[in-house]
Amino acid sequence: MFVGVDVGGTYTDAVLLDHEAVRATAKIPTRADLLESVLEALDIVLKDVDNKDLKRIVISTTVITNLIAGRKYDKVALLLIPGPGLSHRYYDFKTKTIILTGAIDYRGREIVPLNEKEIVAALSELAAEGYKKVGVAGKFSPRNSAHEKQVAAIIQEKYPDWQVELGFRAGPQLNFPRRAATTYLTCATREPYRNFVNSVRQALEKRKISAEVFILKADGGTMPLDKSVEQPVETIFSGPAASTLGVQALTPPDETEVVVDIGGTTTDIALILNGQPLLSAKGARVNEQLTQVHTLAVRSVPVGGDSLLELAGDEIVFRPERLGPAYCMGGPAPTPTDALRVLGLTALGEEAKAEVAMEKLGAPLGLSAAETAGRVIDLIADSITAEVEKMFLEWEQEPAYRIWELLQKRKVRPSIVAGVGGGADGLIPQIAAKLGCDPVIPPYAPVANAVGAAVARPTLQVSLRADTEQGYYQIREEGFQGKIDKRSFNEQKALALAREKLLERAADYGLAVTPDEIEVTYREVFNMIRGWDTSGRLYDFTVQTPRGITCRIEKGGK
Amino acid sequence: MSMSNASEKPTGLIFFPAFDWAISPTHPEREERLLYTRDQIFEEGIMDLPQVSEYTPVLATTHDIAMTHFCVPRVEDQVTEAHLIAAGAAILLADEIVSGQIKNGFALVRPPGHHSMRVVHGNRGFCNINNEAIMVNYLRRRKGIKRVAIIDSDVHHGDGTQDIFWHDPDVLFISFHQDGRTIFPGTGFTNELGGPGAYARTINIPLPPGATDESLLYIVDNLILPVLSDFKPDFIVNSAGQDNHFTDPLGSMRFTAQGYARLTEKLRPDLAVLEGGYAIETALPYVNMGIILALAGLDYSAVLEPDYQKFRESADLAGQVRRMVDQLLQRWAKRDQVSISQSDMTGNYFQHTKRIYYDTDNIQENQLEKLRLCDNCPGYLSIETKANHGYGQTGGKALCLSIPIDACASCRTEAADLYEKAKKARTYSYVYLQDKSADLFLGYDTANGKEWRSEGS
Repeated sequence: MFVGVDVGGTYTDAVLLDHEAVRATAKIPTRADLLESVLEALDIVLKDVDNKDLKRIVISTTVITNLIAGRKYDKVALLLIPGPGLSHRYYDFKTKTIILTGAIDYRGREIVPLNEKEIVAALSELAAEGYKKVGVAGKFSPRNSAHEKQVAAIIQEKYPDWQVELGFRAGPQLNFPRRAATTYLTCATREPYRNFVNSVRQALEKRKISAEVFILKADGGTMPLDKSVEQPVETIFSGPAASTLGVQALTPPDETEVVVDIGGTTTDIALILNGQPLLSAKGARVNEQLTQVHTLAVRSVPVGGDSLLELAGDEIVFRPERLGPAYCMGGPAPTPTDALRVLGLTALGEEAKAEVAMEKLGAPLGLSAAETAGRVIDLIADSITAEVEKMFLEWEQEPAYRIWELLQKRKVRPSIVAGVGGGADGLIPQIAAKLGCDPVIPPYAPVANAVGAAVARPTLQVSLRADTEQGYYQIREEGFQGKIDKRSFNEQKALALAREKLLERAADYGLAVTPDEIEVTYREVFNMIRGWDTSGRLYDFTVQTPRGITCRIEKGGK
Repeated sequence: MSMSNASEKPTGLIFFPAFDWAISPTHPEREERLLYTRDQIFEEGIMDLPQVSEYTPVLATTHDIAMTHFCVPRVEDQVTEAHLIAAGAAILLADEIVSGQIKNGFALVRPPGHHSMRVVHGNRGFCNINNEAIMVNYLRRRKGIKRVAIIDSDVHHGDGTQDIFWHDPDVLFISFHQDGRTIFPGTGFTNELGGPGAYARTINIPLPPGATDESLLYIVDNLILPVLSDFKPDFIVNSAGQDNHFTDPLGSMRFTAQGYARLTEKLRPDLAVLEGGYAIETALPYVNMGIILALAGLDYSAVLEPDYQKFRESADLAGQVRRMVDQLLQRWAKRDQVSISQSDMTGNYFQHTKRIYYDTDNIQENQLEKLRLCDNCPGYLSIETKANHGYGQTGGKALCLSIPIDACASCRTEAADLYEKAKKARTYSYVYLQDKSADLFLGYDTANGKEWRSEGS
């Protein structure tokens, strides 16, 4: 049996899965202490279960989101090695930043060496200011991490108690500013996150739960609890991923769907294209900083069931703030929930109060309660629909760098609008109608997020880059370099090497992966031509364990 | 990253490296060409800057191509999808600039195009179709842009662009490049100044090998900017070849990324379009960064090649450049006082013959070009063309008739009559009528008696 737990801002949800069926669900208000919320929800769904039958627990939490939003971490300094390029004055990481001499180029060659004296001076400066946590990030460090490692070695020697994070691990993609920001966040959150992980482990031990525990990432994959400490920031924004995987598990396979999660004051929208959740082409934006954190493509609209409605001139508008619950539920002001109530699209609250709210709102415009409610629903559905259209447009317009990629671009239209979260289900048919789709409220919609967590599976990847002209290969995730024979190395060997490294990594993570499950998700091969001759080849491969969900949920399990 | 002036519009960027297209497996115009440029601009996070807006290209239509080129026998025979994408990228950015979405743009695309002339029998100097010319003709036909200046900063003379706009008084073409006596295509001398109706609207600045940023910036300040300020273009295009770089394997010049960035900053082009540049590791990542930053109004002072140095120029070379600039300024000043040599006249027509060599495809083309001298418009152009494809394979003759955008009724009628007559005469294998004033193209295949047409939508 599997358990999925999703700790959201307002509610913590949990489900217990037995094969393809939901056996128990829980929905409790999220407490100030996240761990307490997790345990409370767990206890509810595990009430009648022998802990020995429990195979796996997957937790999606807002722990990192809360740490970062509340700046609940020690101060972190950045040592950057940008070398030539964009002027350094555009770098603003909102923290103490020192620029070091040194440069690596796109092929990983050192073009400017480090200056040890300068590094030592920079460290004294940080020490004097009381820093004990340092992120070190260099331009092109994923192509050659030597500079970052050298700086780390100097810190280790002079200040052995400092915490150092390196850019090539935290941000292995090509994007230096995002690498620096991601390294900063990794450095800031690792220690408090580790404390969280430890307390989860202790609490589970106390309950004699020995199931494997995984943490959900923003891209919908999971990491073993212990290993999640390596990339704590990857666990941010896992909530929308949980909901989306939930819809994937609760609706027919291979559909193109819009996932709409309408909450109190925000609506999250995600896309499932031909059965696969759409990933954001670039990393997440965290606290106004762009990062390399992989995430699903999610858009938030500042509107929900409890949004404040008012008049602006002779138009009804919604405000992003929440004054309280809906008027029909004893709140102070009219909300979209009141409109739904008047039109009979929800059973929440008192009908008479909802009528009053809509009448008051529409009276200056000479509208009846029903007419006002109709306008409100139209307005909300329109603004959500517009965001959905933007998402599809953005996806279609994502840059392509190869002819075949550009030519195969085609319009994909959704066929289903799936509503989850249970906040304002009444709106889903209206949104679906505007998009020409079928509305679907899947079974277990109020806890679809917890279902998503339960069915999420671990993903691991390995990126190999080989440069036969320079005679080396490199595993990006590990900063590992090895020699290759320029003549005999070829595409098959490159792929075999990448697969072998992935299997090693999987073993280290305790994951059972068979070689034929491995997917090649990125493949780039370039002949290097120098003066009308081929002087070498560049290979860039990413292989990964399969993405997706462990199972679909059959209806009527409970 | 933070920054800056939010009210300022972004620079539009289309990066289309065509990683799956090459002329031949080991040709310099290869898949790998923009690989390190990709690495550099991605690593710098350029696409994340609020000052830069990335677009994905669309394909140009065959009609867009046919309104600039006479492709023999048809457009489809001379272009691949890669060419349509490169030309489409330039058009898309130009559209966005004209409609005010972006302040300027850079089509960082391949394949290049500035050696492609009006008539296309094959690939010349790595080019099949002329991306900038196609884009400029699009703007003039469809967006009401009248006067355009094209500044070609490739180390090779932009002979294709020169050919296309040779008779056009509303398109100013300025090319600086390495002296044609020392490099392909062997043209671009100071006496090449445009047709009789467009005198000095073509300006060539052949630079001695070894010229540095110093001479580059001298000609920008003392020749190009003053001429632009007289000409008052509605739209400025930079054919941004990058092979004047000191590390380029084909050129012998000594420009740096800083020089290219400074050029861009001074020129303030609406749209830059990549042309050549084959120092794919030592020049392109840096020069492209410099151009993007300069267009976006960002500080480019730290964009330095690993072996950057401030090159010094000999006094001799500098003096030579200065004298040439003075001479060209005088020609420019007298641009409206040209008299046509009577030997080039046949009745009311200005005519001359041309031999054009296609190095990539080894084609020798012979042309007889006739321009109707008209008091009311720039006059229509007729070109008789015949190509020898080497190995004794000779194509038939083709007749190409081009009616300018602001043609008078009499020129339009005469060209249209000529087209109908040529269809019947069976002297030509193909007959084409390109009517820019009506946004209409007609082609006729004599062998099977079939006509095809395309129109702007």
